[in-house]
Amino acid sequence: MKHLSIKPSILPVICRFIPALFAISLAHAVPEKVTFNEDIRPILSDKCFACHGFDKNAREAELRLDTAEGAASVIKPGDPDKSELFQHITAHDPDEIMPPPETIKKLTDADRNLIRKWIEQGAEYESHWAYLKPVRHSSDKNAIDHFITKELKEQDLRASPPAKKWRLVRRLYQDLIGLPPTAQEMEEGLKMEHAQLVDHLLASPHYGEKMAIPWLDLVRYADSVGYHGDQLVTVSPYRDYVINSFNANKSFEEFTREQIAGDLLPNPTEEQLIASGYNRLNMTSEEGGAQAKEYLAKYAGDRVRTTSSVWLGSTLGCAECHDHKFDPYLTKDFYTMAAFFADLEEKGVYSARARPPQIVLYTDEEKARIAELDKAIPESKARIPKDAPKEHPERAVLKELEDEKKKVQGAALSMVISKAVKPRTVRVLARGNWMDDSGEIVLPAIPEFLGKINLPEGKERLTRLDLANWITSPENPLTARTFANRLWKQFYGSGISGNLDDLGNQGDWPMHPELLDWLALEFVESGWDIKQLVRTMVNSETYKQSSHPRSELREVDPYNQFFARQARFRLDAELVRDSALSISDLLVRDVGGRSVRPYQPEKYYQHLNFPRRNYQASKGNDQYRRGVYTHWQRTFLHPMMKSFDAPSREECAADRPSSNTPLQALVLLNDPTFLEAARVFSERILAEGGEDFQSRLTWAFQETVSRKPNENESSEMKILYEKQRARFEKDPAAAAEYLKNGDSPVSAKDPIESATWMSLSRVLFNLHEMIARY
Amino acid sequence: MDYQRFLLDQTRRHFLKRNTKGIGTLALASLLNQNSLGSEGARNALPIHIPAKCKRVIWLYMAGGPSHLESFDYKPKLAEMNGKPMPKSITEGQQIAQLQSQANQLKCFGPQHNFSRHGTSGQMISDVFPKIAEIADDICVVKSLNTEQINHDPAHTFMNTGSIIPGRPSMGSWLTYGLGSETENLPGFVVLTSAGGGQGQPIAARQWNNGFLPGRFQGVEFQSSGDPVHYISRPKGLSDAGQEDVIRASQRMNALGDEALDDPEIATKINQYEMAFRMQTSVPELVDFSDEPKHILDMYGTEGADGSFAANCLMARRMAERGVRFIQCYHRGWDHHGGLKKGMEQTAKFVDQGSAALVKDLKQRGMLEDTMVIWAGEFGRTPMAQGSGRDHHIKGFSGWLAGGGIKPGISYGETDDFGYHAVKDIVHVHDLHATILHQLGIDHKKLTYRFQGRDFRLTDVHGKLVKGII
Repeated sequence: MKHLSIKPSILPVICRFIPALFAISLAHAVPEKVTFNEDIRPILSDKCFACHGFDKNAREAELRLDTAEGAASVIKPGDPDKSELFQHITAHDPDEIMPPPETIKKLTDADRNLIRKWIEQGAEYESHWAYLKPVRHSSDKNAIDHFITKELKEQDLRASPPAKKWRLVRRLYQDLIGLPPTAQEMEEGLKMEHAQLVDHLLASPHYGEKMAIPWLDLVRYADSVGYHGDQLVTVSPYRDYVINSFNANKSFEEFTREQIAGDLLPNPTEEQLIASGYNRLNMTSEEGGAQAKEYLAKYAGDRVRTTSSVWLGSTLGCAECHDHKFDPYLTKDFYTMAAFFADLEEKGVYSARARPPQIVLYTDEEKARIAELDKAIPESKARIPKDAPKEHPERAVLKELEDEKKKVQGAALSMVISKAVKPRTVRVLARGNWMDDSGEIVLPAIPEFLGKINLPEGKERLTRLDLANWITSPENPLTARTFANRLWKQFYGSGISGNLDDLGNQGDWPMHPELLDWLALEFVESGWDIKQLVRTMVNSETYKQSSHPRSELREVDPYNQFFARQARFRLDAELVRDSALSISDLLVRDVGGRSVRPYQPEKYYQHLNFPRRNYQASKGNDQYRRGVYTHWQRTFLHPMMKSFDAPSREECAADRPSSNTPLQALVLLNDPTFLEAARVFSERILAEGGEDFQSRLTWAFQETVSRKPNENESSEMKILYEKQRARFEKDPAAAAEYLKNGDSPVSAKDPIESATWMSLSRVLFNLHEMIARY
Repeated sequence: MDYQRFLLDQTRRHFLKRNTKGIGTLALASLLNQNSLGSEGARNALPIHIPAKCKRVIWLYMAGGPSHLESFDYKPKLAEMNGKPMPKSITEGQQIAQLQSQANQLKCFGPQHNFSRHGTSGQMISDVFPKIAEIADDICVVKSLNTEQINHDPAHTFMNTGSIIPGRPSMGSWLTYGLGSETENLPGFVVLTSAGGGQGQPIAARQWNNGFLPGRFQGVEFQSSGDPVHYISRPKGLSDAGQEDVIRASQRMNALGDEALDDPEIATKINQYEMAFRMQTSVPELVDFSDEPKHILDMYGTEGADGSFAANCLMARRMAERGVRFIQCYHRGWDHHGGLKKGMEQTAKFVDQGSAALVKDLKQRGMLEDTMVIWAGEFGRTPMAQGSGRDHHIKGFSGWLAGGGIKPGISYGETDDFGYHAVKDIVHVHDLHATILHQLGIDHKKLTYRFQGRDFRLTDVHGKLVKGII
């Protein structure tokens, strides 16, 4: 039987406040059967590995507990009292007790009880789960329910009933395309089978936009360089590549290969070169006085951290200065991984506004025009006689044509890509010190404990392509698990292993390791079919459960680790914006394109320099694009995005926190984007919502939260209606002014009624229910 | 409905279900208190590690890297050596920034301004800071600061977050996370900015970012024009009363919705609207200096909240009075690669009076005892000439601290005769952080947050208490 994993370190605190929870925790503190990976490894990793683990330079008493042999040297299976390990952790003498008092690390009684019982039961050591190949524990077609139900039975819990159908339709819209259903879409959705609606939404071009958000966080996609002056850099075609790849359901294998090594593929297509922009998404600098060598070291480290986190769910970055304290990564592994990317043409310190190598990407129109000009220019030249005078009229024509060609070329989008050149020498840097040239020279290699890629015949060194191929090879146990775990979070609120960026020893023991293995294997065996994996996840009965918290679950499983109900969470920042724009019908649903600039407070960029920045909000359609297309200024992320926890994308981010702050309240109340959306929505209410107050309110509720208002809600809104209407009747000029929020034209026939409903709409836009997924 | 009662109930329930992943012992209490209603009064009963000498910090952040050789580190030997080659023994193997191309012909550059003794303590202070000279007996000058980053951007990041990897929480976020807030009307961590007197090197919002800490611990930048806080102003065309209708209705409608949803996040949200509502009153009141007597305005050298450094110093005092935990006043303008003599005069003029007035004002109000004022930038400047200026320098530079239990009227640490290497009582950035936290009652080794499987600290695995200044 498994038990709740509450981190021992916080237990005392919880206990002080909540005696009830304390009792539960104690009852679960020592399970019948203690297992190493679930119960003992977390304790050893957290409290012992730092001095008795992977880092040989920090190892004390030549004892390591991260290997079975090491642990065996201090344990007598079956007899805790004769085991040196147990003697030390229960000693009273400050010279004997482990961990030593000065380390601040402390074992709790619960920890000691677990270790005692584990030794009593034979002290069976296990390898870390995430480093073993996944094993299939069920042959069911959709085994999610099998594993979840099995665990619930063991816990003596029951699953929640299915959510109401309308709730499920809304949930699927939010989860799969990131937009709320309109009232009409809701009506259609209610008529469809669940799986049918899933397929319908997976075919939507907005699916890719929704899926792109967490991926762009991982690869730290942004429109500016991040360091110092945070100048602009063009990579938006990469963003569109990600969206299009999800929409086209490109296999994750190919998706991986194109990003890491698109430029190394035979005769790479334009799309593959765009994908290779991945390697150039790191922050770069053009700060005067910066040393190229230092910054090359920074970029290399950044790539290792990012690539190992994105695909391996590993914190290899920790091994830059010393062997990893908690996982078997060696310092050397960090630098051999960095060596894969040493072939990239790049500069440590760039000259102003230049980030070569780049490719120019012409639109179809631009291509056509250039082709025309390429034809017209020689024709024009031919019309000029050999010794024609300067004022020959054809010369002016020629100049005009040539100027136009330059103009078209200059206006075309040019983006950073990967280009392989002669690889730089990569050395192991002692303590990460880039000035130290004494370290061993290394060649590209994967982390030693994960195996070895054999050097293809006739080649001197491994390439990024070899790395990409290994990442999605059956020999690598980490990639599929990492991806499946993160995808699970998108549809179930938290990972199967709670820590999305670390499947290593310090990560969370997965409550359902067999389920994670099954999903990983399904994923690989389907040919890395992402839509299929999504389908599997959202078609399960587990997915369809109600998210309503039942009182018994509140006590037994406060973090919903057993998935005995669905999760409920606030939408990502981009989707908060999208929801308001979509409901007001302001949203421009084009897919892809250059990044756009929503309204933003004046002078927000005043601290930027080289050059100074003057923010111009986008005009027309570009003002109403989805959040995923928002211009991403790393050092000054749009305040709305920042308030709602979007990461700056200076570093790889596997997970977004979900905070609930007064700044968010201010955004929803006063940001012009939300004011304008409320105003335009009020016009829709008056035009489409019927004639009387109640039918209008009902219509507005259905468009925003997909349900009807109840009696109390109706009377509360009626009170607000009367109050606001009275205010605007007294001051019609104010009503007219109120309606002027936002660029879009004001079309109110009855400004007082419109202004009143604008306030009511604002209240709806401030409902948590509107921006949360239930 | 009685939603106050409802809120209390919800808050309690919320805590039961809160995801406590990654939360350290000390801070859990503050998270709890942050979410409780003001009426519960538990905010001041936080468990702290050590007796606190100090409740809040105001950091006058001299961005760009002010020269220690024209401010607080008097070097007569360097004056004698002016124009002569810098000894190789000093510079060999050291990192240099813009002087890279002249690495073989580095020349000494004597101090460009005179120094005089001030106060009974007799501290040597450059003549470009006549007002700071008046508080010589209140400040502790540290002359042996050390940092690890030689370019502005990473050096700021290191000074604020203790790490060169962007994305770690800044000190103000750590403090509000650890200690909670003493105000329900204002954010606990506020940033003010001004510029003038020299090259305006950019600064990034990551300098006041919460990193992996929850979003409510982020520094909130107050703007000098437009809305002081983003989106604080009600929409045009709506009166205060009209806006209040909307906010109150939003709270009530959320509460009504919650009857069916039973979601603790909603109770939290209703509380956040309460604070947002209060901020709409408290912020305009905060930035309105009309209640300050003329002699106070004169002392700072400002007429109102105009975004000048002087006004920001006065604003900082007003925030400190209202319970803001950590206030940073950035002044951009110290990057004097050329024209240093005049540049120092100019930039000093922007900050001298306000800095001194803040310390005097806090002192006369009895607030200096539990308010620490820090005056320092991200690094210092080379003893070597870069034309008529100085390059970036990290191996020894100066700053000062006052109040909050810091010893007044002393100098701490020394650099060599050239002002190049700190040679005595070196104070590394991590040590400075450890000491600030200590004064606030926090053991820097115990304030941790779990991220990517590791317990992170502001001081990483470093930092030692600078006992000589407390």
